[in-house]
This record gives sequence, C-alpha cells and structure tokens, in this order.
Amino acid sequence: MLFNSIDFAIFLPLFFVLYWFVTKRSLSMQNLLIVGASYLFYAWWDYRFLALILLSTVIDFLVANQLKKEERKRQRKWLLFISLFFNLGMLAFFKYFNFFIESWTDAWQVFGVNMNVSTLKIILPVGISFYTFQTLSYTIDVYKKKIEPTSNIIQFAAFVSFFPQLVAGPIERASHLLPQFNTKRIFNSKFAISGFYLIIWGLFKKVVVADNCAFFVNQIFDGSAGYSSIELCLGALLFGFQIYGDFSGYSDIAIGVARLFGFSLMTNFSFPYFSRDIAEFWRRWHISLSTWFRDYVYIPLGGSKGTKWQSIHNVFIVFLVSGFWHGANWTFIVWGGLHAALFLPLMLLKSNRNHLKSTKVYLHQVPSLLITLVLVTIAWIFFRADNLAHAYQYIVDMCNFSHSGARVFYKSSKMLLFSSIIGFSILILLLFEFIAVQKNKKEVELSTFTAIFIVILICFMGVFKNPSEFIYFQF
Amino acid sequence: MLLFIKKAGFILLVFISISTIISFGSLWSLRQSSFYKPSFLVNNVLEKEFDYIILGASTGLTTLNTRVIDSVLHTNGLNLSMDDTALSSQHLMLEHFLAQGKIVKFCVVAPSINDYDVKSNVLSGNDYRFLPYINTSYVSNHYNRYSSQSAKLLYGSKWLPILGVSYYNTEIFYPSLLALINPKKRNRFDEKGNYGYPNKNAKSRSITEFKELPISFQNIYLEKISDLCKLNNIKLICYFSPINAKKVVTETDDYTILNHSDLLKNTSFFYDDIHVNYKGRQISSEAFANDFKLMIK
Repeated sequence: MLFNSIDFAIFLPLFFVLYWFVTKRSLSMQNLLIVGASYLFYAWWDYRFLALILLSTVIDFLVANQLKKEERKRQRKWLLFISLFFNLGMLAFFKYFNFFIESWTDAWQVFGVNMNVSTLKIILPVGISFYTFQTLSYTIDVYKKKIEPTSNIIQFAAFVSFFPQLVAGPIERASHLLPQFNTKRIFNSKFAISGFYLIIWGLFKKVVVADNCAFFVNQIFDGSAGYSSIELCLGALLFGFQIYGDFSGYSDIAIGVARLFGFSLMTNFSFPYFSRDIAEFWRRWHISLSTWFRDYVYIPLGGSKGTKWQSIHNVFIVFLVSGFWHGANWTFIVWGGLHAALFLPLMLLKSNRNHLKSTKVYLHQVPSLLITLVLVTIAWIFFRADNLAHAYQYIVDMCNFSHSGARVFYKSSKMLLFSSIIGFSILILLLFEFIAVQKNKKEVELSTFTAIFIVILICFMGVFKNPSEFIYFQF
Repeated sequence: MLLFIKKAGFILLVFISISTIISFGSLWSLRQSSFYKPSFLVNNVLEKEFDYIILGASTGLTTLNTRVIDSVLHTNGLNLSMDDTALSSQHLMLEHFLAQGKIVKFCVVAPSINDYDVKSNVLSGNDYRFLPYINTSYVSNHYNRYSSQSAKLLYGSKWLPILGVSYYNTEIFYPSLLALINPKKRNRFDEKGNYGYPNKNAKSRSITEFKELPISFQNIYLEKISDLCKLNNIKLICYFSPINAKKVVTETDDYTILNHSDLLKNTSFFYDDIHVNYKGRQISSEAFANDFKLMIK
C-alpha cells in the first residue's frame, strides 16, 4: 500500500478509529491490531512475502529469549550466528544472489573464461533491507546485553512489522521503539497534530517535488546521450531533489503516521542540502541507516581508534557496505566509495565534526554549502545510472560543455509547465527548510495556515495520474 | 483528541472549501473557452447546421482536413476528432454535439482501426476534456460506465470537482488558467477543428505489399453511434484511414464504409505507421472528398 494512494487514505482513518476507539482499553489488543494492520499493509503488495517477515520475527524472538537464558559464551555466539545467518542469508539470497553470480561470471570473462551460469528470477521483497536490519539490531543488542529481550511475541511482531516504517524505514532500534509497545498509549493532541503536519509536509515532498522532478530525470537519464551539458547537469541536480523528496517524504509520512498512534520514531533526514561538508551531509542524510552502520559496523571494527590506516580502512568499509546495502549493482558501491573518498580528507584533517553544534547557516558559509551540493550531485549520478559505463558516459557528456542550451525544460508548453512547477516547489521546499535550519529545528514546522497552503499546493501541483513508486522500496 | 480532530477538521474543511472554489472556477474558465474540443464546439462554433462532422481519434484528426474537403465540395464540415480517444468518446462527442442543438447530415467516424473491434471499452486517455460539462447527464453517465480509478474520480467531480481537477491538474487546472487569460486559445487545432503532423523525416519508399487486416465491427459503441444517428436522421459513414502497408478487409453490409486504408502507396506520406503527415493528409482529404461527393449525390 502506497502512502500516496487512495487505499491508504481509506486504511489510515479506519485504523485510527479502531485503534483509538475500539481497542483503546487494552494494550494487547492495540498491539494485535497493529500487527494485523501491518500485515494487511504489507500483503497489499505481495502476501507471499509475509512469510519472510513472520519467519524473521519468530527466529529473532526465539533467539533473543534463548540468549537471555544462556550465559555460556560459545552458545551465545552460536545463537547470534543463527540470527545473522538467517537475516543476512535471506537478504543475500533475495537481493544479491544474481549480482554475485553475474559478477563471478564477469570476472572470469576478463580472463577469457566464458561460464554459462544461469541466474534466478527472484522478486525482491519490498522493504527486506529495512526490516532485516531492524531485527538484526535487536538480536545484536540482546547479545551485547544492552537491552532485555521481550517475552511478548505480539509486541515483538508489532516492533518488526510496524506499518509506518516497515517498508522504507526509519530503521528503528529496539531500545527506542520496542519499549513503546509495552507502554500504555494516551492520545496526545499536540503530538498527533505535529504528526499530521509532518504527513502533509512529507506528501508535498513526495507528490509535488519528487514526482514532478521524475518527469525530467527519467527522460534525461534514460536517453542521456541526446542531451546537452547543461541539461545533464540539471538532470543530475533534479535527481538529487527527486531522491531527497521521495525518501525523506516517505520518512516524514512514516514518522507522522506513527505519531498519530502515539509512537515516536527517530528523525531520518535533517535538511541534508544545507550541509556545509560531506561529514555533515552524512549526519543529516538517512540518519537511521548511517547510525546503524556506525553502531554495528564502524565501532565494532574499531572506529577511529587505532592507527590512521585502520581508521581509513574502517571508513571505507562502512561507506562501501552502505552503498552495497542500497542495491546489488556496482554503481551503488562506487557511490559509497566516492562518499568515502570525500569524507576521508575531513577525517584526516580532523574537521569532520565541525558543524555539530548549530545547523544555522551564515552567509559566508554559502560557498561551502554549494560545493557540498555539487559533490553530492556528482555522486548521485552513480546512484541513478543503470551501470558504471552509463555513469561514466553521463559525466563525460556533462563535462564536454556542449552549447545547445537546456531546451528540454522549455521546448513545449508541457515541459515549461513542469519546469515552472519544479522550480516553484523546490523554492518552497528550500524556503521552509531554511527557516527551520536557521531556528535550529529538527523538522519543518507548519502553522495552520501554512499547512492549508501546502495541502492546496499538493492538490494542484502534485502528480496523481502516474505517480512514481517510492525509490527506496527497491532497496 | 478533540483538539486534534478540531485542528485536522479545520484544515481539511478550509482546504476543501478553497480547492472547491478554485476547481469550480477552473471548470467554469474552461467552459467559457475554446481550449478543448467540447468547449470549442459550444463557444466557437456558431453555425447550427453542418453537412458533415468527423468524429475520430488522432487518425481522424490528422487525416481528414475539412478545409480541403469543403474547398472541393463547397460543403460545411467540422472536425470534432480528439487524439487518444475511442469510439465510446466519439459517441459522447456526438451526444454533446446534438445537445447543443446542432444539426448534421453525415457523421463520419474515424477511430483507430483496431477500435472497431474492441469488446470491452475503457475510459479513453483524453475523456477528461468533457469534465467541464460533468453536470450534463450524458457526460456523467459516460464516466459512470467505467470502473477505473480515473473514471470514478471524474464521476465524483459531479459533487466534488477537486477530485477530477486535482487528478488531472496539468490537463485541466493549468489550461484553465491559460483559458482565463486567453479564452480564444485552442489546444492544437484550427478554427475548423483540424490538425496535422509535419512532413519531416519522411523517407520515400514505395509500398507494394499490403497485409490484410480483418475487421468485424464488434465494438458496441459503433452500434450506439449508429442508433443515435438514425434517431437524428444522420447518415453514418465508417472511415478507414490510411495505414502503412496494411489493408483493412471487412465483410459487413451493416455500415456504409469508406475504406482508404491502402490509399497511400509511399512511405513519404506517413508520419508513423498509422498517422499521415501534411502531404498524406492532403491526398487523403482529396480522395475522401471525391468519394464523399458520390455519397452526397
């Protein structure tokens, strides 16, 4: 079920009424309702893959409870291994199996050996990367004795499958979300209103900014050879706004929906295009994933402790794995590697924690803000391209400075209309975010009247006829 | 809870009120304009009587030029074809034409060839152009016949116009702004409803072989158009527009047919496989005029 669909517009108020008016008195009933609704929400795409969520839930629940009883180190390690093996194995099979096979045969082809290995037609279950990481964090934390496992399987099933963030995050930590399923929920109007505003803002980012940008981005990237340098540059820039609007829009809606039911989810995006360097960008972009990698990969590897080379090695590993998490394609790995290469100088110069205290942007910082945007945009080309050769050619064509203008944006009245909508919507997006950044806020805050204004913009500027799926569903 | 419901309710209420006013204004603006064919017919076509009208899809729109036909036959014709429409839309257009109190002797239907045989009709891509007339029974009934989401939203616009206007915002809302500034602006057709495709990139190659394409008139809407024509004393002609290297064959005697599917014998007359260019349109329109002349007599 898509957040920007009529199905969801019917599902949400129905669930709201059942949750707050029918099952209000019983916490177990509310949790059971969450599980049922979440499974229905997921089954809307493909009911067959519910079995994977169910299996993941049961295995991690049993493993965690066994870990609680078990004190012997060796046995504990085995239990952790079972959880890691199942979750990562499932991810490896559904997401990476064909990639490994193809890369293996391609590698042999370099040496002149042609291997005839057939790949499998595997459908990627929506959100598999998100919920496997969420349950993994649970067993790892239980193993490290950071949290106590829950003995209530319904609560745990609700934690794994909680529909607002099931398919595209934020990837929650058990220490933050799980206890909320064990707490009596009292409706907090202010909290719910902030959620309602966040849903509106998220819808604006998705339906207006991202889906309109997709109109040009798809054309330019799908036929990049036929476009001028300026068109390619703008295509890459618009993709940056498309993916931001798409993904952060989803996160905002997810956080907003969760708030309607009394749940607090972690902030996933914090105005990343107002970052003054790459390190700050990664503190603001997909925060739930970058902190996951920090806590479960970077720190266990040794983090910044140890020699300079060890730190470089650890940073590279984290960025490469983060890139690979996004998809089974070398483009994502190069994208991760590029970010690592951009991050390293800051780390070596010890300036990667320069802007920790304040998000406020000053006039003299505008150049560094623009430089960061340009660097991030170049890296996005790898993220969006079909393969490495395509990305390389895109950059070469972009840099040959052909002078045929930017006709794609105004060659017909339809193009001009889309260009105007995109320009205006990005301006609104940046204006609202700039205000929030200057006030050191964590999220855009709407008033009653700005909320009405944004809803009207969604209505008359949004893409409803041919909406794009959320990009991050494929991850 | 009450505070939340009040706040959310207030926002939704104000939003719906403002959007409804904007949407009504948008539909009103289009109704006063000549931007799309349905309102062009109401506002820009002052004549009441016509010798013939052409109802078709993009094939009818770009193949038959009423200016050429009228210059040969000294008739008064009107092209009411719209691209991306089907026989069901052409039936709707005929209903709309008659609802304006206009009279015509001949009705030429020129849909995409395959549309003659469509068994299950769906809402056509450009049927939204009738949305400004949603309050007429024939338009709302037309939308109500289909089960697709877009048809439901268009039908729902009868009560809540934001449904259709926002769903088709780039096709309805923004053109309505344009129509407000310039009500006389037409969306790619001349004052007789004609439009053509350019000659560019037309490679010249003789077409010697024509593959047969059988048609058996299974579309229920052709029957409906025929019934409506009989009721209003209009003679119906089914026109087969030229197709690149294909010849339409049919065995029916139920309809008067003008088969020009194999008329053009060179690829330079085509814009693509099913559409002619300016040159092809000129030849097709002259050929139509010659054949039509016999029918008028």
